[in-house]
Amino acid sequence: MHEVSIALGLLEFAAEYCKREGYKGIEAITVKIGKASGVMPEALHFAFEAVKVGTIAEKACLNIDEVPVSGFCSNCNKSFTVKQTYVLSCPICGKSSFRIETGQELNICEMEVF
Amino acid sequence: MKVKVVAQILEANDRIAAENKKLFKESGVYVINLMSAPGAGKTSLIERTIKELYKKLRIAVIEGDIAGTDDAQRIESLGIPAVQINTGGACHLDANMINEAIADVPLKDIDLLIIENVGNLVCPAEFKVGEDMKIMILSITEGDDKPLKYPLMFQESSALILNKIDLLPHINADLAKIKNNSLSLNPSLKIFEVSCKTGEGISEWTSWLQSLVA
Ligand SMILES: Nc1nc2c(ncn2[C@@H]2O[C@H](COP(=O)(O)OP(=O)(O)O)[C@@H](O)[C@H]2O)c(=O)[nH]1
Ligand SMILES: [Mg+2]
Ligand SMILES: [Zn+2]
Repeated sequence: MHEVSIALGLLEFAAEYCKREGYKGIEAITVKIGKASGVMPEALHFAFEAVKVGTIAEKACLNIDEVPVSGFCSNCNKSFTVKQTYVLSCPICGKSSFRIETGQELNICEMEVF
Repeated sequence: MKVKVVAQILEANDRIAAENKKLFKESGVYVINLMSAPGAGKTSLIERTIKELYKKLRIAVIEGDIAGTDDAQRIESLGIPAVQINTGGACHLDANMINEAIADVPLKDIDLLIIENVGNLVCPAEFKVGEDMKIMILSITEGDDKPLKYPLMFQESSALILNKIDLLPHINADLAKIKNNSLSLNPSLKIFEVSCKTGEGISEWTSWLQSLVA
């Protein structure tokens, strides 16, 4: 359900940006959503369609790039990607000498404006 | 025309959270954001914490709920200032809600502000409100699969309170599994085992909390 708040945050940013830069409207917004961010893409699409009505992004479509969870292990000196939303140990060597690198993103990366 | 932008979606929320935090700092108030599933024992833990610490620290509470004022009343009956926020459907508190509630909190007269978030294991972890730390409660009746099902909250929290340990003899809960998985997700997580019913383990938690506030 917090996808509604996320969608509102997205629109707020987009509207402010267009006002500042002098654009009239938005055709598309592309966001990066990490798999471990807790946001469900389908729910975000649904929320976006509901909250965009009557805003500068009324006709905009939302593109969601899902970012998998990945990390880097200092023991293996290698990067890895996992299917789950969490990493308990390095999938290559099994040690806990890793750091998470991607998967928690909640970012706006591109807009198509006019 | 395509334009590249680089921004956090929750930038506006994070900005207000930073303002709140600045105000708390200036007023010398330590703030904890208490999160859990509904019924895990947030209000019970706040009651226990108040009883243990009210002679040592001046405390106020902000209660977040979708509707109702029951929890704020439970706190006020202990003689502690409580402000109720009704989120009207939203499943978490955000920085703006806290910003609006602050006006009713006697910041100048308190040392510790406890914020009870809306009962939910997912959404509250995503939103900063201006807290010094996030604390989560998991009651052992919720099942030992929760850390891996809801990793974000375990990763965002500074401490995990395992509540309702008085029920251990009656249920099948693998405490070691909960603790191991939680620590794998977040090696610096501080873990307390408590029962808000019997009071077991509460003083370990409150001593730790007091040491951070003072
Ligand atoms: N057996 C047992 N019950 C508890 C414990 N802590 C809380 N409860 C009960 O759990 C229910 C929910 O507690 P509450 O504090 O309102 O949870 P909240 O929704 O997270 O604020 C209440 O009926 C409490 O009496 C505990 O340590 N042991
Ligand atoms: Mg409660
Ligand atoms: Zn490795």
